[in-house]
Amino acid sequence: MVDSYRPKDLKDALRIRGEYGSTPLAGGTDLMVRYQSWAGTLPLFTNSVMFVGHLHELKYIKKIENSLEVGGTATLSMVADHPDTPRVLRDAVLSIAAPALRNNATLTGNICNASPAGDSVCALYALDALIRLEKNGSSRELPVVEFITGPGRTLLGKDELVTAITIPLKNSSIDNFTKVGTRRANALSKLSFTGIADYKNGRIDSIALTFGAVGPTVVRSVELEKKLLGLSRAELKAGKESILSDYSTVIVPIDDQRSTAVYRKKVALNLLDKFINEVADYE
Amino acid sequence: MGSNIALKEDDIKGVKMAAKISIPVLRIDAREKAGGWTHYIADYEFDNLQHGRFLRSERARAKIIEIRKPDFPEGYYYIDASDIPPGGKNNIQMIKDDWRVFADGDVRYIGETIALILGPEKQIVLDLLNQIEVVYEDLVPSFTFQDALSCKGGAIHGTDNIFAEFLLNIGDVDNAFPGAVRVVEGVYETGFQEHLYMETQGIVATWEDEKITLYASSQCPFYIRKSVAGTLGVPLGDIRVKQAATGGAFGGKEHFPDVIATPLAVAVNKIKKPVAMIFDRIEDISFTCKRHPGRISIKTGLDRDNNIVAMEIDTLVNGGAYESSTPIVLQRAIIHGLGVYRIPNARIHGRAVATNTFPSDAYRGFGAPQGLFAIEMHMSHIADEIGMPVSQFKRKHFIKTGDITITNAKMHDDVKLPGMLAKIEEMSDYSEKVKKYEDDPLRGIGLSFVNHGGGFTGNGEQAVIKGVVKMKRLEDGKAGLYVSVVEMGQGLQTALRKIASKELELDYLDIVYDNPDTDIVPDSGPTCASRSTMVVGFLVQECAKKLKIKWDEGVGAEAEHVYTHPEEFVWEQETLQGDAYPSYGWGVNVVEVELDPFTYEVKTTGVWAVWDVGVTIDETIMQGQSSGGVIQALGYASIEKCELKNGAFMQRTMADYTIPTSLDFPEVHTVFIDNPYKYGPSGAKGAGELVFDAAPPAYAEAVQNAIGKRIYEIPVTPEMIMEALR
Repeated sequence: MVDSYRPKDLKDALRIRGEYGSTPLAGGTDLMVRYQSWAGTLPLFTNSVMFVGHLHELKYIKKIENSLEVGGTATLSMVADHPDTPRVLRDAVLSIAAPALRNNATLTGNICNASPAGDSVCALYALDALIRLEKNGSSRELPVVEFITGPGRTLLGKDELVTAITIPLKNSSIDNFTKVGTRRANALSKLSFTGIADYKNGRIDSIALTFGAVGPTVVRSVELEKKLLGLSRAELKAGKESILSDYSTVIVPIDDQRSTAVYRKKVALNLLDKFINEVADYE
Repeated sequence: MGSNIALKEDDIKGVKMAAKISIPVLRIDAREKAGGWTHYIADYEFDNLQHGRFLRSERARAKIIEIRKPDFPEGYYYIDASDIPPGGKNNIQMIKDDWRVFADGDVRYIGETIALILGPEKQIVLDLLNQIEVVYEDLVPSFTFQDALSCKGGAIHGTDNIFAEFLLNIGDVDNAFPGAVRVVEGVYETGFQEHLYMETQGIVATWEDEKITLYASSQCPFYIRKSVAGTLGVPLGDIRVKQAATGGAFGGKEHFPDVIATPLAVAVNKIKKPVAMIFDRIEDISFTCKRHPGRISIKTGLDRDNNIVAMEIDTLVNGGAYESSTPIVLQRAIIHGLGVYRIPNARIHGRAVATNTFPSDAYRGFGAPQGLFAIEMHMSHIADEIGMPVSQFKRKHFIKTGDITITNAKMHDDVKLPGMLAKIEEMSDYSEKVKKYEDDPLRGIGLSFVNHGGGFTGNGEQAVIKGVVKMKRLEDGKAGLYVSVVEMGQGLQTALRKIASKELELDYLDIVYDNPDTDIVPDSGPTCASRSTMVVGFLVQECAKKLKIKWDEGVGAEAEHVYTHPEEFVWEQETLQGDAYPSYGWGVNVVEVELDPFTYEVKTTGVWAVWDVGVTIDETIMQGQSSGGVIQALGYASIEKCELKNGAFMQRTMADYTIPTSLDFPEVHTVFIDNPYKYGPSGAKGAGELVFDAAPPAYAEAVQNAIGKRIYEIPVTPEMIMEALR
């Protein structure tokens, strides 16, 4: 049996984290599944556990200037319900599990689980979300794309906690989040796609294209996106085949119990194709 | 239509079952179940309860060289074949007894029980289990039909891996084929399907009143009694089985509970303490029986006028490592092999093979869905080949009353398929939509016809089951009903009460009918084969008539009724010739779909069903059966993928083995037509499995019409559609 802690506030939580490196557990919707054992026995945690879901200081979501700040223990339901939540993130969050689970699960948890199939993560990559990490006495902020380093792996220090996720709010004209799940609700992703784009003076001014569950992490290539900046609608349309061919080199899925590599790749490229058409046809 | 009738208890109190038994009443178990008050087996409490966990094989086929065990603390036990008492047998008495209680010397599939570890503290049981090391010597496993037929690694069963082989024949196929001007062939495949019953498998075995008593989530309490008595080598009466409340079980709790009950009973016989075995869901999905995968090859000859002159079918089902009910499943698959069609010359060769996969067993439909999927898709493919509308081609071959069936008997039923087709046309606008979607690359519509024989195949009800029911007049004007068939979500506790109360002219709430206890109720047979309402319900009706006559004898008056086979139905079991079933349920389904061209996901936009189940005992209950059966079948046809990797199921969680949610399929528009059967209660026929049979081919045909490519296999996954469109 492992030790467990219930800090009285954030300061206490940071102290415990610093002292014992306990695993933070907010909603528990991933961790309790990951460490499940025979019903009626204790879960198989090997590290001490610190409950953080009750920390009210972190249970908030608010707009601050041109950003949406999601507190470290804000639930997926809170994210879905907030009027300023970008549409792709709202769609992504609402595609996760069922309402009862979303009432408990946190956005932080979905990020720290670091699954390439994490639905909110696919949207957060496209939204350039920043992860705020705090430890006793200091804090730092990392782009989510840097924070997540591999399947189940992040740069979260042993003594750090995620205290907020900051999402820059841009008025993007064109956006799309699509999840292809194993069924229509309460499903895990076979793959997911997020596209966000905007024009300025008839030329692409910003674009973000991300793909979930087709590689060890969510896939986003800033390099390939750069090639699209400045293109006109006609140029985008004319260059579509070469864009698709570029992306086919960075989308490298695998076969597993939910789908096949061939299907994942083909559908990811289909969704990209469809999104490029939407962008090119945007009036 | 009774689907939207909301009933309050006040509305139905005192309502006598009038002539029209179909008028819905409040289900007797609805309130308790909806309120969460029903106690299922995992909710039971016992003093001094021990918890058991199986040591299971991790290899598909291997010799056991050695089992290294830690020291067991006081009160913890390792139970294996050596604990079976003298006079007992290390075999489970199912239909066959080849399945072993404990693997001994070798293992034949992943998950096979090697031993039972038990004790008072679950964590200690788990720790002990984790410390046990089984040393194997691997043998060459066999998983596929091809592996089985070539006896890869040597035969698992007998000398040829064939559990059962049957040949059915009508007319003269060999002489008819040369007369054909066109021959169409196809190979049709269906996959494993997991039951995902409401609650996982669970049994508590206890030592009560000097007797082994088992509390079981189960469809067939008397099957458990028989298997446990056989294993321990004691008289049947020495074992008592009490059925716990059981949710929708779908065949998954017909035989598999025996696999848990027998080792538990061996343990209780030794330690004389109660032992519980409640599966976790992942354990349940990984290590319980599935529907038999099927591979069915069909070859059909047509004459100049597009009449079928001959048909030859080769049917294979994968039985897994032990036989269990596999031969009977195969019988049903081939007897339903011609579907609802009159074929003058036909031959069906059926074989059930042994492999090193988890033994396959009963699942709603019991072989019929595999056979019916194949024939329906094949008929559709022929229609496509000759350029005739599917409905026209199928209709042209509908079997009629008096026609000869594949078992060389006359079809006794009043076959109402043409009227049912007209009804579903009217409901779904089928033919118009077929035309409309012809050039639509994304939309399609499919149509299927099925029948399903009610009750045990052939003379099984008479020769094997010999069902008995009892009734008794109780205090306060109530009547007791004693039967062994169980409520498992299908509404039987309500249906049988209605049947009995109608004859006795009582309120249905005045019929007392508890979950069966083998020490109290007679053996009216198992809850399966669409027999509970049709066969047992008829016994209840006849028994109630007898009690009615004796009613004035006062409290304690009793009546009993035993199954007698109607003389007009003749059957020869050795050759499978004669009346395979006394009556059939009939069905027509239409499914309409729309394809997402980017993701290849299929959205089902309409589902219609017309059923002939004789007479519905309760319109609302039957609407529930129709919706549940059709949606479960649509899951089988679309998203319920269950694959093997080196002999283990790859989809082991409810996240990976997905069944439909209410968002996956729309409402099932259902109509029942009236066609009373004279040996059914108030005219009712079997229905529980029929409602599963029709949707898979209708769905596959709808997708086929949308994508313009023939479909030969279910589940039709988006991955498959993508490959087909490449």
